[in-house]
Formats: sequence, C-alpha cells, structure tokens
Amino acid sequence: MISLNGYLIISFCLFLAGMTVMIARKNIIAILLGVELILNAAALNFAAYTRFVNQNLDGHVMSLFIIVIAAAEAAVGLAIVIRFFQIKETIHIDDATELQS
Amino acid sequence: MFLKIMFVLSALLTLGGAFLTASSKNLMHACVYLLACLFGVAGLYATLGADFLAAAQLVVYAGGVVILMLFAIMLTGGVQEFVNKFGLDKTPSMGSGKTYTIAGLSMIVTAFIVMKILAPVFKTPAQTDLPAFTSTVEKLGVLLVTDHVLAFEISSILLLGALVGAAVISRPRRGK
Amino acid sequence: MDYTISSVAPIVLLPFFAFVINAFLARKGGKATIAAVFLSCAAIAGSSVYAFRIFKDFVWGNYATNYHIHKFFTWFDLNGGGQEFTVNMGIYIDNMAAVMLLMVTVVATMIHIFSTYYMKDDMHYGRNGRFFVYMSLFTSAMLGLVLSDNLFSVFIFWELMGFCSYSLIGFYYEKEKTGNANVKAFMTTRVGDVFFLLGIVAIWTAIGSVGFVDIYNAVDSGLFTSTKVLGMPLATFAGLCIFMGTIGKSAQFPLNVWLPDAMNGPTPCSALIHAATMVAAGVYLSLRIYPLLEVGELTTFVAYIGGITAFGAATIALVQTDFKAVLAFSTISQLGYMVLGVGVGSYNAAFMHLITHAIFKACLFLSAGSVIHSLHDHHTHQHVQEMPRMGGLRHKMKYTWIAMWCCTLAIAGIPFFSGFVSKDRILGDALVAATHNPVMAVPAALGFLGALLTAFYMCRMMFLAFHGEPRDKEVYDHTHEEKLSWNRNAPLLFLSIFTLGVWFSGSLTGQGLVKVADYKNGKYEWFQTLIEAPKKGNFENYKREAFGNTDSRVKDSFEMTKYDKQHGLSEAEYHHVHKWHVIGAIASIIIAFSGVFIAAMMYLWKKWDPGFWVKTFNRYYRTLQNKYYMDELYIKGMIQGMLLPFNNLLAKLDMGIYDRFVVDGSAVATKFVMKIANWFDNLFVDTIMVDGTGASVKFFNLVLRTFQSGKIQFYFIMIILVLFGYILAL
Repeated sequence: MISLNGYLIISFCLFLAGMTVMIARKNIIAILLGVELILNAAALNFAAYTRFVNQNLDGHVMSLFIIVIAAAEAAVGLAIVIRFFQIKETIHIDDATELQS
Repeated sequence: MFLKIMFVLSALLTLGGAFLTASSKNLMHACVYLLACLFGVAGLYATLGADFLAAAQLVVYAGGVVILMLFAIMLTGGVQEFVNKFGLDKTPSMGSGKTYTIAGLSMIVTAFIVMKILAPVFKTPAQTDLPAFTSTVEKLGVLLVTDHVLAFEISSILLLGALVGAAVISRPRRGK
Repeated sequence: MDYTISSVAPIVLLPFFAFVINAFLARKGGKATIAAVFLSCAAIAGSSVYAFRIFKDFVWGNYATNYHIHKFFTWFDLNGGGQEFTVNMGIYIDNMAAVMLLMVTVVATMIHIFSTYYMKDDMHYGRNGRFFVYMSLFTSAMLGLVLSDNLFSVFIFWELMGFCSYSLIGFYYEKEKTGNANVKAFMTTRVGDVFFLLGIVAIWTAIGSVGFVDIYNAVDSGLFTSTKVLGMPLATFAGLCIFMGTIGKSAQFPLNVWLPDAMNGPTPCSALIHAATMVAAGVYLSLRIYPLLEVGELTTFVAYIGGITAFGAATIALVQTDFKAVLAFSTISQLGYMVLGVGVGSYNAAFMHLITHAIFKACLFLSAGSVIHSLHDHHTHQHVQEMPRMGGLRHKMKYTWIAMWCCTLAIAGIPFFSGFVSKDRILGDALVAATHNPVMAVPAALGFLGALLTAFYMCRMMFLAFHGEPRDKEVYDHTHEEKLSWNRNAPLLFLSIFTLGVWFSGSLTGQGLVKVADYKNGKYEWFQTLIEAPKKGNFENYKREAFGNTDSRVKDSFEMTKYDKQHGLSEAEYHHVHKWHVIGAIASIIIAFSGVFIAAMMYLWKKWDPGFWVKTFNRYYRTLQNKYYMDELYIKGMIQGMLLPFNNLLAKLDMGIYDRFVVDGSAVATKFVMKIANWFDNLFVDTIMVDGTGASVKFFNLVLRTFQSGKIQFYFIMIILVLFGYILAL
C-alpha cells in the first residue's frame, strides 16, 4: 500500500482539487488557497521520489524551497489582495481587469 | 502496521480536506479545511521519513500561511456585491454551477494529461527494500550549505524581498 | 596554466560585478558616476588580462588543434523513475574560444576607454553611469557566451545580450525614433530566438544533453541523421532552427531590418554591438554548430543567405548619406561574408573574418564617433551625422583620418591589410565550392560583386567626409583641431595597428608570398593552423572534469600542430584548390583596387558625375534608398496582413467562447459587441494613420491591450489546453 504510486495518486488528487479551486472560485483569497494546494502536491511528489527512487536528499531540499516560496508568495499575494481591497472595496476576481484596455 | 494506519489516516485527511476546500460554500470554512489538508500532508511527509519537512510544513503552513489567510479573510470579508459596475449580475464569489462545470471539464482534461505522464511511472515495479528511517535534519543542513548554497541564499533574499514587498504594498498611502 | 575558478571565472565576473555595483553607484551622480565609469573600465581591462593569460596558454603554450579545456558542474540533478535529467553548466575553451575571448575583451576595453570621451557630455545629465552599467553587462554576457559549453547557457547569455542591446539602442529614450528602434531590434531578434529555443529543445529530446561536445559526438555517431523530426533528419531541423537564431542576431537577410535602426544608440554602443559582441555572437554560434549544419546539408542554404546579405546590404550602403548608416550596412554586408564562409565550408576563414572585422569595424565606429562628436550644429544643437555637410575634415582630424583610412583599406580588401587576408580566403573557398557544386556559383559571384561595392562605398564615405572642400563652412569652422589624447585617438590608433594582415597570416600578403613570420619552429600561419572545425579525432583522448578550486586535470602533453601546407588534401586536390585560390586572390585584388578607383574618380577627382548614374537608374536608386522596402513589407504584409487577423481571431475566441457562451451568457455578449465596435474603430483609425515604423509600436501596444481580457482564470484554462495539445502531440 505504501508505495510510490499511492503518493503519486494522492498528489494528483491534490493537484486536481487545487486546479478546481483556481478555476471555479471567484474570490481572490480562495484562488490563493488553490495555489497552496497545487504547491503542496508538487512538494509531496518530490518527497515521495526521494523516498522511493533515489534516496538522496535533493528532493527534500526542493520541497523545502517550495515551502519557502509558498510562504513568500502567500505574504505578497495577501498584501496585494488587501491593497486591492483598500482601493476597490471588493476582492472579486472579475473586477481585477484594470490591465484589460 | 503503525505506518500503514498513519498513512491511511493522513491520506484521508489530505484528500478529504482538499475535497472540502474545493467544495465548501463558506470561505472561512474552506480555509479551515485547507488547514486540515495541510496537516494531512505533514502526516504523509512523516510516513515518508521526512521528519524535518513535516515539521516545516506544520510550522510554516499551519502556523503561518493559513493564519495569514484567515486574517486576510477577516480583513476583507463582509462586503459582498452582487452586481458589477455595469449593473450586471456577477458570478457568486464562491463559484456557481457554471464555473464548477468549466472546472470539471478542465479537470478531466488535466487528468488525461497527467495520467498520460504517470502511466509509464505506474508500470515500473515497486521498490521493496526501503532503507530504515533516519533523521534527515543533519544531512539536510549540510546539503543546504554545500550543494544548494546558492539557492539557499537566493531564497533568503527572496524572503527578505517578500517581507519588504508585503509591507510596502499593504501600507496605507500617505495623505489618505 | 591551471584552469580553476579563480583563473577563468573573473573573465565573466569582473564586468558582471562592475555591473552590479554600478547599478547602485550610477544613480547618485557626481563623484559616484566617475567612480562607476572608472570601475567599468577597470573591470573590463582586468578581464582582458585574464583572457590574455588563456590566449597565451593556447597559442604560445600548447600549440595544438586538439587542445580543449572542458570543465563543468552539475546545475541540478533530478534523476529517477527511469528518467535521466541532469543539467550541467560549464566552460569549454578551445583555440577558437581563446582567440575570441582576447578579441572581445581587448576591443571592449578600447570601446570603454573611448566611451569616457564620447559620453562626457552626458555627464551632467547623470546618465553617463547608466551607459556604463549596460556596457558592463553587455560585455559580461558576451564573454559568458564565448565560454559556455552548452547551448542552454548560450541561450541565457544570448537573451541577456538582447536585453542589453535593447537598453543601449534606446539609450536616448526621450526621442521617439530611438524608442521605436529599440523595440524593433528587440522584436526582430526575438523571431530568431524563438526558433533557436525550438532547436535547443529538439536537440535535448534527441540526445538528452545540449553540450557542444555531446552534440559533436552525437553527430559523429550518426544520431542526428537517423532521428527524424517532421519528416526531415534532426540535424536539418535543429540546424535550421539554430541558424535562424544566427539570422536574427547577426542581421542576415530576412531579419536584417533592425541593425540600421540600431544606429540610434550612442556611437560606442554601436561599436560594441556591431563589432565585438552581439552580431559576432550569431556567427560564433553558427561556427560552434558547424558540424550540425554540415550533416544537415544546410550549407547551400547558409551560403545563399550569406551571399544575398553580403551583396544586398552593400548595394543599400551605396546610396546612404548618413555617416553611421554606411557603416551599419557595411556591417550587415561583412556579416554576410562570414555566413557565406560558413556556408562554403571555410570555417577558419569565416572565423578569421569575424576577428578581423571586429577589430576594424570597432575602429571605424569609434572613428565615426570621434568625427560626429566634434561636429556640432549651432542652430539645432545636434551633432552632425550627414556626409553632405562634412568634407575636408582631414585637416582638422589628422589621427582619426589615419586610423579610419587603415580600417577602410582593411574592409575594402586591399593587400597587406587584415580584411584582404580573411575576405580573400572566404571568396577563394567560395570559388572552390563553386567548382565542386555549380549551385554555389551564385553566392560566390554575389560575394565578388559585394567586394567591389564594399571598396567603392567605403572609399566614397572617406572621400566625402575627409577629402575635398568643406561643404558646410560653418560646421567646419566651429570644429576644433584634434589633439592626441588617451581616450579619444589612442584607442583608434591602437586598434588600427591590428588592421595589418601580418598579425593574422604571418605573411604580408596573406597568400604566403612574403613571409615575415616564418619562424624556425613552424608557427607560421598560426590562425589557420589552430582554428579548425570540430572533427572526430579531436575528442578521442579527451577528458571532461568537474569545475573546482584545484586543477586536477592530467596535463596531457599535446603534440604541437605543424602548419600543413596542403591542409590535409591530396596532391591533385591541393593543386586544384590552390589554382582557384590564386585566381580568387588576383580577382579580389583587381576588384578592390577598381572599387577604390571608381570612388576616387567620382568623389575625389570628380571626373565622373555620380548624378548621371542616379538619373540612369532612378527607380533602382529609390528602391535602394528605401532599403528594398523591407520595413514596409514587414509592417504592411506581415503585421497588418497576417498577425492582425490572427490577433482578432484570438480575441474573439477569448471573449466569444469563454465569456459569451459559457459563463456570463448574454450580458457579456452586449459588452463584447461594444468592444468589437471599439476595436474596429481603433483598428480603422490606426490603419489610416499608419506612418512608417511608428505604427509598429502602436501596433504592439494594441496587441497587448486587446490580447489580454484581464481574466486570469481564462488564461489558466488556456494554459491547460495548450499543455493538453502539446502532450497529445508528443
């Protein structure tokens, strides 16, 4: 049961869930939740490959960097969301079309 | 045996959390379900023998990112407009049947892509003799300051940049 | 000499650090700017010292064709699941890279020194420092490209150079013309770059590595011909794609439109772009992948591109009146010769022409800078660049005059000068290729005609600018007498020393007739002996190793390569080749002198009236003045005819399918119709008001505006769909 395939399927499901969130939700913060799910799916894959395939810890390092980047992304992303909210008083994604024309 | 129970529990927590995050109608609830999902992922790391990663996952995600998200939700919540500037109906902010249909279609497409990539991987025989669990903290530390030192330094600069950037972006403008 | 991090990396890193530090210093102004300028110059001078050490090791030390240094480190290693995925980065130095390094660093040093003179006026605008910031990054990127051991890092530095050229061409960004020029340069080279990336991906999927040595080995093992892509051998596909990169960067025939507009930058940056760095990179790349071009049977195509460029650009240069425009078109033409050399298989002569051209073209541009900088129109407060307003300047600028004549004679192909040595070899080899394959006769003929025109228009430029009577008395009288100074004439005179052919060939004429450097130990013709196309035997007992602080390489003793008079050919073949080389040499001497003579008759002695020819060939003259209407063709035909409808189609897909039918139903449909009307209006008005190049900028603005609907989620879905298509196609 505990094999590479199991972990890959779990991370696959995580990825699909994250993508669904990113497409279906219209709230910017909810979309950020989806991004977190996708990043976790990738990090889980790295750790699983490290365990089952080559046993050098490079995969762990990659996962660690993913976590770091996710933290940075969340901080900046939420700051942008709050700034956007201060200006527009909404965080609906369809209102963020300033660059359109 | 313990490992198997742990794996099943973590997997269920992860998948259930992810599913509820995607389907919950309340943003606050979705965020809490995300927390559960991330706990599950930490458990999965533990079953993989990645002790440091599990700890980092808990500290950074559960302790940092999700709390940050909750605060952001609280700071921005409460305003819910149903019409846009043209006076037309907006899609509900937590999604509607239409958006979920599109998401479902995209999901099928993506599933095709990923399955096509994963199919050869699934066919490879499973590795049976896995090494025993050892502490990875020391090795990881050594790796970070030897092989991956450049990436390490760059990520430290990235974090500093993110910190300063977040402060600068969300700061209220002078004169307002 | 040991090849360690501390002896190789500084070549790239010194200018790069200068760039990083200057990026902070340059904004300060005042003394900080002076420090920044000094730092840039010192950094590039320092890296030329390091480059000279390597050159010395290769040319004075191991004098062998099969001597290489290849060191690498693993950038990242993600092996697993039965898949190999290791990306290596490293340095690869052979004789070609060693010569190239020395050339780039020395020429760049001279250009930096000259820039301190030329950019003096910009000092009080505080943008002097900014100029040097870009110059340092530019040089550093070029040096990195030369040292690279794989196509991937070549591509990284290639793009860095693209960015720097964009910034430097648009240095005076307050002028609208300049802004258009840099966008044009960036966009045009981008066309080639996309193909280049495609070629890299094709090679990667086939052999799992993009290192040059791996590519050469794969070529030898026949992998490139057995693998098929789109119905043609991989070598043809990949070679064609990468050569498209060369076409873009080196301004070859279909994509040559950007180089003349690149004149809008400050003159020293033109010198850097045209001589040492950017355009040289394209030719250098096509020399590096030469085995691929050969196996892929692309040589005829390459030769045709080169021949057409060499001749076409030379004809345009005939009618230009702008001082720098003549030089710009002559650059395109000379690059055509190099590519022609690659196409006809004269690897070594093409590279020699790259080096000699870099030196004399840098000197020509710096001289042009010296001339333009000292001519000043007191009514418009602009520098004078138009040749009809010059004339008689030799009395005022003696040193520039001398340096510029040296380079003009070199580029015209007069014996004893370097241009003769290299160009004559290319033309000789083109003749030989034509005897083997009659198809090659066309590029060879174009090459010879181009040589005649080159001699003519360069001398025309010299006669118009420096000889005769001053045509604009006011400008002439305001020009100061030129004095010898370390940052104005010294770089010119230094570079003009190296326009002599003897440095490159060892004999005065370059044909082995008057040998001056016939050493006892056989180091005669060092250039021809050392530089040769990568071939099978050279990589046999060759080790690559990890890059580190120590040099653990076993110092293989290489046998000194002897000059082979027959170039490894059989006796009969050698006689055939030699016969045609002599014919070519005599023909090109006659052609060069007749070009100079015609120019002198027309513009110096005024015996023949140039106006007569203009009247006779009036229509052709117009065509030339409009550069064969290529700009118009691109704007009208390509952009308005093809890209705009495509853009509209995409916009319709975006707004039409996703928004209209799926999500928002009829509500957005109303908005959509309104937008269509809006775009139509924009397009209509824009099309009417199209006015030369200005429209292209407007157009790209329009593309960006209409292409994005602003809906992130739609983009995400598009990404998934594209990915899906890609995976299905695999």
